[in-house]
Amino acid sequence: MPVTSTVSADGKDITINISGRFDFAVQNEFRNCYHSTGPEDGVSFTIDMSKASYMDSSALGMLLMMREHLGGNSANITISSSSDDISNILTVANFQSLFKIA
Amino acid sequence: MSENTLTVLVADDDVTNRLLLEAILRKEGYDVIHAEDGREAVEVFERERPDLVLMDIRMPELDGYQATELIKAMSGDVFVPVIFLTANSDIDSMVKSVEAGGDDFLAKPYNRIQLQTRINALMRIRELYSTVRQQRNELILHQKRLERERQMAKRLFANIIHTGSLDQPNIKYLLSPMSLFSGDILLAAPKPSGGVHVILGDFTGHGLAAATGALPVSSIFYGMTAKGYSIAEIVTEINTRLKTILPVDMFLAACLIDIDTTTHTLTVWNGGLPPLVVYAARQLAISQRIPSQHLPLGIIDGESFSRRVEVVGIQQGDRIYICSDGVLETQNRQGEMFGRDRFNALFEAGLAPQALFDTILERLSDFQAGSLQQDDVTLLEICYDQSLLEQRAGTIEEEEGGRGRLSAAPSSWGLTLTLTADLLKVLDPLPLLIQTLMDLQGFRGQRQQLYTVFSELYSNALEHGLLKLDSSLKANASGFVEYYQAREQRLAVLSEGEIRIDIRHQPDAGGGRLTITVEDTGDGFDVDSALLPLTENLGHAGRGIQLLRSICDEVIFQGCGNRVQAVYRWR
Repeated sequence: MPVTSTVSADGKDITINISGRFDFAVQNEFRNCYHSTGPEDGVSFTIDMSKASYMDSSALGMLLMMREHLGGNSANITISSSSDDISNILTVANFQSLFKIA
Repeated sequence: MSENTLTVLVADDDVTNRLLLEAILRKEGYDVIHAEDGREAVEVFERERPDLVLMDIRMPELDGYQATELIKAMSGDVFVPVIFLTANSDIDSMVKSVEAGGDDFLAKPYNRIQLQTRINALMRIRELYSTVRQQRNELILHQKRLERERQMAKRLFANIIHTGSLDQPNIKYLLSPMSLFSGDILLAAPKPSGGVHVILGDFTGHGLAAATGALPVSSIFYGMTAKGYSIAEIVTEINTRLKTILPVDMFLAACLIDIDTTTHTLTVWNGGLPPLVVYAARQLAISQRIPSQHLPLGIIDGESFSRRVEVVGIQQGDRIYICSDGVLETQNRQGEMFGRDRFNALFEAGLAPQALFDTILERLSDFQAGSLQQDDVTLLEICYDQSLLEQRAGTIEEEEGGRGRLSAAPSSWGLTLTLTADLLKVLDPLPLLIQTLMDLQGFRGQRQQLYTVFSELYSNALEHGLLKLDSSLKANASGFVEYYQAREQRLAVLSEGEIRIDIRHQPDAGGGRLTITVEDTGDGFDVDSALLPLTENLGHAGRGIQLLRSICDEVIFQGCGNRVQAVYRWR
């Protein structure tokens, strides 16, 4: 599975793991990981990119959709363990001003 | 199916058989027509176009197989079922009936239930067939209409998007869209004060959706550039508009640049595109690399949006490169990307500037070696050639001419404007002022000249009067950058002072006479010494007043040098 998610025991932390290509093909799987959570639920999300090989601009768009769904500026989303290539894509788009990059 | 009366053709040379079948069929509610041999069957079919045919095999003239072949050929793409009537079901005649186009068999003696079932089954197929045929025809029609609309939209799009001034000898570019409509946008427009604005943008995705987003971008870009707005103001406006119209997951990664031939500076706003590169003609190496420093456009709203720009100096023959990430993401057959390292290496080989663009294209195409293009690829090179860029400015289209607006006959009027420090900090009043004058009097064909006059008078008042900047800084290109950085810093903290602009207009033999007085609350300057070097061309500095003198009939310094009066005649 290219996109999987794990929920912590108290339900307050959700980790989304992405492997392989992060692009439009995994749109539905990615959306399902956060869709039932609302801005009021106080859930922290971590997107683990350590196994992702590539991301394109539609994936950036998917991250924006997620951020919006979880309350925009109040959304709590961390993007972690990105490869150099993926970090570079995130940096060029200045996504560090919208997401926590770990 | 029995609601609509169906017509069945019975072809049999045996009259008893015909009557028997006719009786059964009529009882079931069908209309019946008949034929006594194969040839008659074909003739009756052609004339009456029945919905179904019952066909005996052995008949005089034409046998059942031959008649069926002809009937099938005549029906074209309408499905007319043919049921063969056989005495015995031997394999050989079955094969021949199928080859002739038969759809089913009915063995003697005829049984009503059997006959009805066969006919119902075939009629269902016929109905399905006709639905499919109808849908196929609609689909073909729809496709043709869609294609026509796409072609029309493409032409329209091309007219709106690519009417800029890209076709200059000093601009080279590659735009290779993946589909009919590109997700990449590349526009260039001359500034009224000389020099050029360029935007290269890359929408999320490609195709029609991305192209639609390009329309407001192009109208804002062309409109505001022609009115004299800066790229910081233009990029803010584009962001606001895109934020309103684009869905959350769509945005525009873009780089806007302002190439100024008066100050020899390059001003850059880069949000989401690979670094802009300046290749210095003298050093044969990269002299500037300006990476993305902002979020792409259309993501955040006005308050948090950053319009901060980078200003760098630029010299004759330098080349500016901007590309969309499709260039770096060009893939070879192994699925490997071209990448930053290969791209950067192109600029580190000490190549002659004029060979660089073609070399980049060549390397990209060698690398790709026929594998499929994945993304829109756009690459732009602009050679900083002062004379060319200045020449461009002289050919700005006068939009007023096309508006069909009635311009008032030259008349007497006046306008006084007082600009306070608070206002000057946040607003460049020139575009608004010029627009007001154009609306008031319709100075057809004069926008650029007027812009230059006001811009020189205003910068003089602001930069020397209120901000107390020393123009001797501008003696060389690096000083220019310093000068404009200081301008920005001092303007940001400006707390007192005013600029008063007084405009009087008088009709004058077929045109008018515009007297513009600009006064600032600064200390003024020693008029005599400042005017002294103007007889020589100083290059970077002093050009402003020279320019004013060349356009205006009179330029007079008054007071302690803090008031300038210029008289501009037009017809």
